[in-house]
Amino acid sequence: MEIFTQTIVNGIVLASIYILVALGFALIFSVMQILNFAHGSIYMVGAYVCYYLVSSFGLPTWAALLVSGGILALFGVFLERFGFRYLEKDFNRTLMFSLAVIVFLQTAADITVGAYVKRVPSIIRGLTTIGGITLSKERLVTCVVAVCLLLLVTFLIRKTVLGRQMRAVAQDRDAAALQGINVHRIAAIAFGLSSVLAAVAGGLMGSIIALNTYMGSAMLLRAVTLVIIAGMGSVGGLFVSGLIIGFIDAVLPIFIGGAGSEVVALGFAMLILLVRPRGLFGQAI
Amino acid sequence: MSEKRQKLNVKAARKYGVYAILIAFLLVLPCLPTSGPYFIHVCILIFTYVIATSSIRTIYVSGQATIGHAIFMGIGAYTSALLAMRLGWTPWITMPLGAVGAMVVAIVSGYFFSRTRGFYFSMVTLFFGVAVEALIRSWVSLTGGRAGLISVPGMGVINIPGLGRVDFIASKVPHYYLLLFLALVTLLVLYRLERSRTGMNWMAIAQSPLVASSIGISETKFRVIAFAAGCFFAGLAGSAYVHYSSVLSSSNFDFMSSINLVIFMLFGGMTHFAGPTIGVIVLVVIPEVFRSLRQYAPFIFGSVMLLVIFLMPQGLAGLFQIVKAWRSRIFKRGA
Repeated sequence: MEIFTQTIVNGIVLASIYILVALGFALIFSVMQILNFAHGSIYMVGAYVCYYLVSSFGLPTWAALLVSGGILALFGVFLERFGFRYLEKDFNRTLMFSLAVIVFLQTAADITVGAYVKRVPSIIRGLTTIGGITLSKERLVTCVVAVCLLLLVTFLIRKTVLGRQMRAVAQDRDAAALQGINVHRIAAIAFGLSSVLAAVAGGLMGSIIALNTYMGSAMLLRAVTLVIIAGMGSVGGLFVSGLIIGFIDAVLPIFIGGAGSEVVALGFAMLILLVRPRGLFGQAI
Repeated sequence: MSEKRQKLNVKAARKYGVYAILIAFLLVLPCLPTSGPYFIHVCILIFTYVIATSSIRTIYVSGQATIGHAIFMGIGAYTSALLAMRLGWTPWITMPLGAVGAMVVAIVSGYFFSRTRGFYFSMVTLFFGVAVEALIRSWVSLTGGRAGLISVPGMGVINIPGLGRVDFIASKVPHYYLLLFLALVTLLVLYRLERSRTGMNWMAIAQSPLVASSIGISETKFRVIAFAAGCFFAGLAGSAYVHYSSVLSSSNFDFMSSINLVIFMLFGGMTHFAGPTIGVIVLVVIPEVFRSLRQYAPFIFGSVMLLVIFLMPQGLAGLFQIVKAWRSRIFKRGA
């Protein structure tokens, strides 16, 4: 029973972090038609910035999360302003640019951090009991923060003027520009927002598992898997696919090991792609 | 008319002359006094990557942007290494079998993958690559798991009629010639394929699958052919390299290795046949030249990438066209 509830909680925590990262990836893809492979590296850097803010500057963890989000947001805007903006509509070059960004971030992380394993201190320690089930508080907090952030971003995309502008740009860039929407500004905001999501997800993940410099590519892969299963342009679908993959990653390693569960998750994604390429909830392509 | 033909002949002779000089240079290279074992090692690495990257370009020419190519190198390498280790066959037989194994997997998987197009094809190949890599990692009894295989049998000592005893164990130079030979054969075959009717069909499919199928080009068939041909040579690269390095680990064929192959190709330029070769040479040599910088070397690598991205939209091979345009402009002005 104990293992059962712990596994469920783990699944939900993993799922919420996956969804955070995937949401940012999907945002950039739908607004700018860019496959930002550097997203995983931004997630990794966000986690380390958070770690250093806590360990070297002595900030409390929640403040470190905010500050690292802000720093990475600036970095995301910088990438858009001085990189992706000049490479519009050239798929190969945007792909290569994001790969070059990975090279830089990964190398910088390897030099500054090296092979040492770090861990962000958790916001709250200790255990709590809800309805007879014992849970660790840090996982609970992680989950709550992630879900709040997700709801906030969903609200931003669905209900505000900014979100409406983003959706307009995603639908038709030229038509949106004709309506007086500043396309570049929207793209920069989308980049900043997605970087914030990745950085916060990194910080939250850093308080649960140990950090290493190669966590970026694994998370990138999860983000892509989520987006594919959900279907392009479906925010609600991300929640479902996030829960599916989160639970596969939380439950299956107990039975068949980590690599085995990866095979199952990716096999599922491949099956979806081959049987229903538009994903579970995507529009027809 | 005959004058024109003569001019063409001169042009062709000049072209083949350049190739002949290049090949002669590569043949003499290991005999030069400046070439130490390390230099030979880098050359072998370059030849392996030339095979793999040229083969990925073949798949891209048919409009299939695969990002799981490294795993087919892995399939070739593991097939060859396991056949040689478990059944004790000589690597001279298992090496081509490794390539064939990669091709068989490519035909079966490519048939299913050809249901998807464009971005979705990229994603399905990405997932396939990572899933197979994870499978190799988790199948410990067969593949050694994360630790991988060690002491894969080498090419040994053989007697080649005309050349006498060739010792692959004592020196790296025979490996150099073997990989050089394989790279040249690969380039030749892929070039002929691309310029054949099949290659024209690939380009038609890449431009518009709908129009291509309307004039009777079977999209599935030719896409699978392109995928299988590309993966055959990827398998060859993997299996040829594993008998040289004699160690094998699944981490050599993970997600980032596939991405690396794509970087090599895009860096050199996809539009030109020589693009991947140029990209591999430059990108393998740069980190070696800046080895004294140790961990800072990737920054140079990244900076060169940025330069090419922003200054040469067509990749390095795009320089050919720029130079050609310049020459013709100057020529016109002079006349």
